Amino acid sequence: MPRAIVLDRRDNVATLIDTGSAGEHCALQGEAAEAVTLAQDVPFGHKVCIRAAAPGDDIVKYGQVIGQASKAIAVGGHVHVHNVESARGRGDRNKD
Amino acid sequence: MKASFLGYPRENGTFGVRNDVAVISIMDNCNPVTRAIVNAVHGTLPVTTLFVRGQYGHDLEVTLASLAGMGSNPNIAGVVLVGLEPHTTEEVARRIRTSGKPVESVTLQPGGTINAIADGTRMALRLATRASSIRRQPCPVSALTVGVECGGSDTTSGLTCNPVIGRMADRLIDDGGTVIISETSEFFGAEHLFAARAADPAVGKAFTEMVLRLEREALSRGMDIRGTNPTPDNIRGGLSTIEEKALGAMAKSGTRPLRGVLTYGQPPASPGLHFMDAPAPAVENLTAFAAAGCQLIFFGTGVGNPIGNMVTPTVKVSGNVNTLRTMPENVDFDASGILETGAKVADLGDRLFAYAVEVASGTRTSSELLDVRETAISRFSPTI
Repeated sequence: MPRAIVLDRRDNVATLIDTGSAGEHCALQGEAAEAVTLAQDVPFGHKVCIRAAAPGDDIVKYGQVIGQASKAIAVGGHVHVHNVESARGRGDRNKD
Repeated sequence: MKASFLGYPRENGTFGVRNDVAVISIMDNCNPVTRAIVNAVHGTLPVTTLFVRGQYGHDLEVTLASLAGMGSNPNIAGVVLVGLEPHTTEEVARRIRTSGKPVESVTLQPGGTINAIADGTRMALRLATRASSIRRQPCPVSALTVGVECGGSDTTSGLTCNPVIGRMADRLIDDGGTVIISETSEFFGAEHLFAARAADPAVGKAFTEMVLRLEREALSRGMDIRGTNPTPDNIRGGLSTIEEKALGAMAKSGTRPLRGVLTYGQPPASPGLHFMDAPAPAVENLTAFAAAGCQLIFFGTGVGNPIGNMVTPTVKVSGNVNTLRTMPENVDFDASGILETGAKVADLGDRLFAYAVEVASGTRTSSELLDVRETAISRFSPTI
């Protein structure tokens, strides 16, 4: 069973410290103890959603905001650049 | 009891952890002669540079100060400068002489390449002979200034190597040492937490302004920094945003108060934790640490970045089991126990502190032995 670490109770993502495959149960460690079922393959070091997020919702890790969901993310979903956007250094959003 | 290491005493009261003669290029057109001299004399190392000719104003000043800073670094026993013309060469020599160490210089004009190599080789031989007579002696770790860096980061960096480096930084500061963290863009999203650690509100404000100034620069260019920072390998390693990377990167600063802010390559004037406003990419960042007088650098890596600095030994720390398996020759300290066997950050950090004393006393790092070292001074405006 792949392991994932939750760093803060406010977090809605966990970081996998093993390679995870779709359909596998993933055991949470740290600030959460339950398991989630992976909806997709999740590589070593990548994040899994442990609390559903709607578009625009904050993604929280270390108890801090690391970006916003750009799409709806279900529990067990792979959380990465395809569904999370940074809010910093975004000169592309400044264009008139 | 406070820790001590065996270091090389220098004329100005500082202590080096290495004892090489630096052969320093004053301009890019001197690099071939610098390399020829280093190839001829054991106990020397090359500090090459790019540009300088045609640089002006603040950009030139940073470059000359950085060259002089590397020559003045306590790890260097003596300096041979290789210049094209005497004027710029003498300017750098003058600055290095204030450290009290021997400086000799050779210029390509008017004697040409062959004479410059011959003269420079004789100078390097004299200085290397002199350096070899200097003996290590016990000195307190409070004499150490250490840079903390991360590169080739992934999500293991914020969980393993960076907090372990942070614990080492706390231990060094508690013993009276000095620690510098930099990589300004890698505070985007974490700056509020770091600013809150400032000993003086004015220092916190100065730090935050450095971070926001850099972000404004990116915004004013209409650029999206994604894909540049985090880098493609950061993203492959699971880091989704600069905010996530920054929160993990900050861990390498430990927990002690922020005492001061520095510009690129500026030496700290007091002990404790400092922030230096310098770009994130490893080579130019490590160069800034060497210019500021750091005798050691601790470099956390996730997916792996082998590069080290020429003047300042660079200790690679990784907690990624895959990297430790695929590129073991590029890692000096294994922090993978945190994720694999439940090892505690504090215990590994204490071991890293003990290892810092070993490296300061002469234990070689991988990037020194494999000679995977490079120098690059940041540019701040175009050449004219």
